Amino acid sequence: MSSRGSLMFVLHAHLPYVNHPEDSAFLEENWFFEAVVETYVPIISVLERLASEGIRPGVAVSISPTLGAMLENEALEDKLVLYVESRLELIEKELERAQDDPALLKTVKFYQKLYEDAAALMHKYSGDLITPLKALQYAGQIEIITTSATHAVLPLLARPEAVRAQLAAAAEDYEERFNRKPSGFWLPECAYEPRLNSYIKLSGFNYIFTESHSLDSAEPQAPGGVYSPYRTSNGLGLFARDAASSREVWSAKFGYPGDPAYREFYRDLGYDGDYEYVRPYLGSDGIRRPLGLKYYRITGPGADLSAKEYYDPEAALLRVEAHASDFLAKRMKQTDDFYASRGSRPLIVSCYDAELFGHWWFEGPAFLEAVIRKIRAERLPLQFILPSEYLNSCQEPPEITPGSSSWGENGYFDPWVNETNDFIYPAVYAATDKMIETANRFRNQDLSMLNSRALNQAARETLLAQSSDWAFLLYIGSHAEYAKGRLEAHAANAIKLLGEVIEKKVDEQALAALEQQNSVFPRLDFRVFASVSKF
Amino acid sequence: MPQLAKPLPPEDRLVLLPKNPGLFFIFWQFSESRADAFRTASFSPEIELRVRYAEDKTAAAAHKAQWLAGRAYLPVPERGGNCEAALYALRNGVWERLLESNQAAAPAAAGMADERACASLEFHKKVLS
Repeated sequence: MSSRGSLMFVLHAHLPYVNHPEDSAFLEENWFFEAVVETYVPIISVLERLASEGIRPGVAVSISPTLGAMLENEALEDKLVLYVESRLELIEKELERAQDDPALLKTVKFYQKLYEDAAALMHKYSGDLITPLKALQYAGQIEIITTSATHAVLPLLARPEAVRAQLAAAAEDYEERFNRKPSGFWLPECAYEPRLNSYIKLSGFNYIFTESHSLDSAEPQAPGGVYSPYRTSNGLGLFARDAASSREVWSAKFGYPGDPAYREFYRDLGYDGDYEYVRPYLGSDGIRRPLGLKYYRITGPGADLSAKEYYDPEAALLRVEAHASDFLAKRMKQTDDFYASRGSRPLIVSCYDAELFGHWWFEGPAFLEAVIRKIRAERLPLQFILPSEYLNSCQEPPEITPGSSSWGENGYFDPWVNETNDFIYPAVYAATDKMIETANRFRNQDLSMLNSRALNQAARETLLAQSSDWAFLLYIGSHAEYAKGRLEAHAANAIKLLGEVIEKKVDEQALAALEQQNSVFPRLDFRVFASVSKF
Repeated sequence: MPQLAKPLPPEDRLVLLPKNPGLFFIFWQFSESRADAFRTASFSPEIELRVRYAEDKTAAAAHKAQWLAGRAYLPVPERGGNCEAALYALRNGVWERLLESNQAAAPAAAGMADERACASLEFHKKVLS
């Protein structure tokens, strides 16, 4: 059956760079371990399984450079192995504890398989999960794109040099990691403003994604709404996110993830279990924290946490099937309505944070798999398509200039600029301005190895200070002290290193420690921050 | 109000950032000599932040603030679009221009609020809590 429309799925995978080699059990490193086990491994498994059965997933995956660096960090890989082993050890105890409770036992066994699968996949690829993604891209099954170097919200970087540095470092990082030049660029937080077009295009990227309401204020009016691709005046391709298909998945209140049969995120053995029993699996501080073993289902809207009922993996999978069917029926209606009114085939662009699938919405990877399988099995007139394929095959898209926007709360830049976090910007700009000034000063000078290393590390620290994650964590009041400390440390490190180079007294020992801890972008050249970049 | 734990190097800086269709965020810092001029009352403690349209450089608005505040939220002027700001201080009855900002583009208001996504917020509230 010929296609009546196209679906473009974009999964944006990102975590802030968290690497603490000095600590064997650093709390915030658990973000990475949890995301690997619950999201990255299940998604890679889904993609590999589909590909092996001749069903092309056709999904675009954005891997942020900071996440890519963590996935390739051997020290983190070693810690990840220990994390999985400790969970499997705990699961062994849980199997014993659940012997007389069949409903609980079923879920414990389910987790045992989840963690065993994670261990097996990591073993298969020697701990490097970039390898299977590269292979899938090489085989044309998926398209991998990137985002700004440290996930900086680009409209909040007033200095063009800072924007260019974020883009140049990301492009170079992608090429080193995936052995090809990047084509697509994921705007962190979908945060867009028109001045970015030229920087993005000049950095070698061919297309971006914007939030749906960026088209409301587009000049001229976007003729196909969100159902059509566009291009900017400098030839940058542009896809707008379809709000309807996104909301069905995103919203805990109105979307699929709020279904009573799905796993409850907040009930976790780390909080529920006897303290002495779970104590060995908590961090060195002994503070209760999630252990990833969550035995309850959402149960019902507004149900008190204490009133939650046991999770049933099989019942949840039945709901996955129903939700996948519902999702596709709604996309069919969208395409039919568009075709009836416009006489052309629409493109539906559905973009999600990858970590939604699996980590928060535990059943998300199964949903993704069910959607892709159903299109094939039920011969639905829809096709999954990759962004580059679409741009290469479609007619010249209409030219527009979208309006400034983001996918954050209220649709603009409020989550990253408000009374809870605005105090960080003087530090971000102090480091950034100093970095630019120093890069300009030394860009054409012959430098000693030590000074080059110091300048390159200062560039890494500056990029890390610009990350959107610190402002966001401060805003939501979660891990706020950690976020504040990281931001201040990166800005201070950059300023200190630059001062040491200028004063010709670089502390090599301190520099080496920073190079080990903040080891993103190993081949970064500080000149990416120069005013007229050589890149 | 949260603050940085350590003071930053004293430098002159005025930065204007977009927040939403209704507000800009602006922050300022002073070099040691200028900060001294405020401390010793050479300059009056009240400063003026003057906003103008970047395209035609016409004045759009002026807002008073205390020099020590270091930051403020300014209403986006009526025409929106690209704006820039300058910081003035009063000395001997004369307003002196001390700092100039970058250009910042105010977003145009678009769509209905409940139609606009808040994807990342909803997710991160859950994940990182």
